[in-house]
Amino acid sequence: MAKLWAIIKREYLERVRSKWYLLSTALAPVFFSIIIIVPIVIASRTKASPDLSHVVILDATGTQLGTRVAGELAGGISAEATRAEVRAVAPSELAAAESVATHEVMRLQDPMLGYLVLDSATLAGKTERYAGRNASSLIDVKEIEGAVRRSLLAQRLEHEGLQPAKIKDLTNVNLEMQSERLTDRGREVGGLANALFSYLIAFLLYMMLMIYGQQILRGVMEEKTSLVAEVVISSVSTDTLLAGKVIGVGAASLTQIVVWALSTVLVYRGRGIILARFGVANVPIPIPHIGLGIALLLLTFFVLGFTFYAALFAAMGSTVTNEQDVQQASMPVMLMLIASIVFIQPILLNPTSTFSRVMSWLPFSAPILMPLRMTIVQIPWTELAGTLGGLIAGCIVATWVAARIYRVGMLMYGKRPTFREMGRWVRRAA
Amino acid sequence: MAEPALVIDQVRKSFSGHVAVRNLSLQVPRGSVYGLLGPNGAGKTTTIRMILDIIVPDSGTINIFGESSIRGRAGNRIGYLPEERGLYKKMQVRRVLKFLAELKGVRGRDADKRIESWLTRLSLTGGEKDWGNARVEELSRGMQQKVQFIGALIHEPELVILDEPFSGLDPMNAQALKDTVVDLRREGRTVIFSTHLMENAERLCDAVCIIANGDKVLDGTVAAVKLGHGGHYIAVALGDDRSSAVTDIFADRSLVKRLDDSNRTVEIELAPNANAQLLLRKLIDAGATVERFELVQPSLHRIFLDTVGATGVEPGMSGHG
Repeated sequence: MAKLWAIIKREYLERVRSKWYLLSTALAPVFFSIIIIVPIVIASRTKASPDLSHVVILDATGTQLGTRVAGELAGGISAEATRAEVRAVAPSELAAAESVATHEVMRLQDPMLGYLVLDSATLAGKTERYAGRNASSLIDVKEIEGAVRRSLLAQRLEHEGLQPAKIKDLTNVNLEMQSERLTDRGREVGGLANALFSYLIAFLLYMMLMIYGQQILRGVMEEKTSLVAEVVISSVSTDTLLAGKVIGVGAASLTQIVVWALSTVLVYRGRGIILARFGVANVPIPIPHIGLGIALLLLTFFVLGFTFYAALFAAMGSTVTNEQDVQQASMPVMLMLIASIVFIQPILLNPTSTFSRVMSWLPFSAPILMPLRMTIVQIPWTELAGTLGGLIAGCIVATWVAARIYRVGMLMYGKRPTFREMGRWVRRAA
Repeated sequence: MAEPALVIDQVRKSFSGHVAVRNLSLQVPRGSVYGLLGPNGAGKTTTIRMILDIIVPDSGTINIFGESSIRGRAGNRIGYLPEERGLYKKMQVRRVLKFLAELKGVRGRDADKRIESWLTRLSLTGGEKDWGNARVEELSRGMQQKVQFIGALIHEPELVILDEPFSGLDPMNAQALKDTVVDLRREGRTVIFSTHLMENAERLCDAVCIIANGDKVLDGTVAAVKLGHGGHYIAVALGDDRSSAVTDIFADRSLVKRLDDSNRTVEIELAPNANAQLLLRKLIDAGATVERFELVQPSLHRIFLDTVGATGVEPGMSGHG
């Protein structure tokens, strides 16, 4: 036990003392605070709606639709100076007008953002066209689309004889979806914010497994090529060395996660003070409720996932003796990790489908995908317990296999073994 | 005699069809300096790895201090210096040593004290720079070897196993290590070292075992090995005026069976029934300036060449003896 402790201590201290570790541990909270604080500050300093007065409207409808749209874009206020320019064109001259407008937009010194085309298809309620530098801005396009829809509706209603004031009254519908998540604790905030949060957690887990797994792999390779392994193995068994390595590096990564989590909570709680320094009023940030129970469960998934992947990365590290082989050797383990991360999006969109459920049960993807599902939807505790049980079984099998590959691999030099050879090591090793 | 420190009995190890060690048996007496000699690829390192339980022999037994495995109590009584490197390059010297000490059950202040005393003894600290705080990779090869040496000795092992300890060392560092080996012997510890450099073995070893191609060629105390080799050897040193007459004498097979001409000194094995006095007289008659003429025992170098010969090294073998 004392020897195992010596190995754990070395792995932990050497890693924690490294510059990379200190920097990433210290800087990540700064990064997280920026993510929390900056959007609020920016949001408070910019106008709520985008400025679309620099859009030119090419109106080929022969009606007042263009002028109406310009009014809508200006927020319904008829202050001439900030209104979008409307150019009435005959349908036959539309193509020529468009190419002129295109040139104007392309000349960057002009403030002109883009141009909107209204024609007979627009009047029929079918299509409108927009071309501009901001065409990929979802908010701008949505805003323009809304303005045209409201204008067309108003024009039609006016045509039917309604008073403009009455129309404004009737069409003033500004619906905003407010989604709430229902769990056994009752109502919770923000479905979308929740999904984003879950995504971040899953991605963080993936990053940690990936980065620390690679570190373990390289560490093992270094021990093997520098013959340190021989000195150590003449004092302790390979199993102790492997266990010490996984526990030591795991503890270092766990320390980092805890520091990050605590500092993020601190920034979140104290955001009022920080925001006040920027002269911005505090706003509630909708994040899902993470109780101590969930937090511990997340940590459990991380610890088990770490054990699973670290053992396998170490086993692969024991089969290589040079840098060129590292990529190939780590590939099978990396594929399992990547297979988990590519399914984040489908599962985020449909967390209760059979596919999502099965993926979150499999031992290799459970450490990433179950925390993801767990924070989006409520998982029955039987399913959670089953997944944890499966993951623990997976960990036992993975470390068992890894220990056997590691035992032989550490003392094998020369060419990299094939998977068939590794299979033989696993079966033969006593 | 007390129970031997190490007994190897009929040990065999093969790697994918190639036999690295073939039915090797040897005994290392306690308190002796034992040389494991052999050309590169003879099976020296494989033998050492088996002694350390790093690899398991296919057959045969290895007994250390009466125990069959170093995994038990015997483990902390052994110190091991691998053939080269064997340290974490990025770690500070003191931290590496502390780690190695802890692996052998030496902890805390005790470990610190021993580390300081060793660093001073091998002049890694106390000079213009304290190398104890440097990273291993900043040290020269010789200094790294010293650190490795400390790592092997920090827990005051009763049995020290050194794999090619002198390879690639400059004379100063080599001397420091030789002095330490002599000190260990004086303290009653057992030292086993492998080498292909016969001069070191000649000066340090009480007993040797010569291996080639995984086979034991001969073993025993150095004195017994030399006596058993037979033949009469004469070391001759002549002045610079070596005439053709002298060359003729050396070529006379009735006098000289074989000679090993190292320019300054010529080691001569007399032909059976030849007379040393006759050889001396002939040399003087031929006008040679005889600066040294001494009846000697065969050198280990000579014995090694005679017994192992040019065929001792199997082609295509790795550097891991």
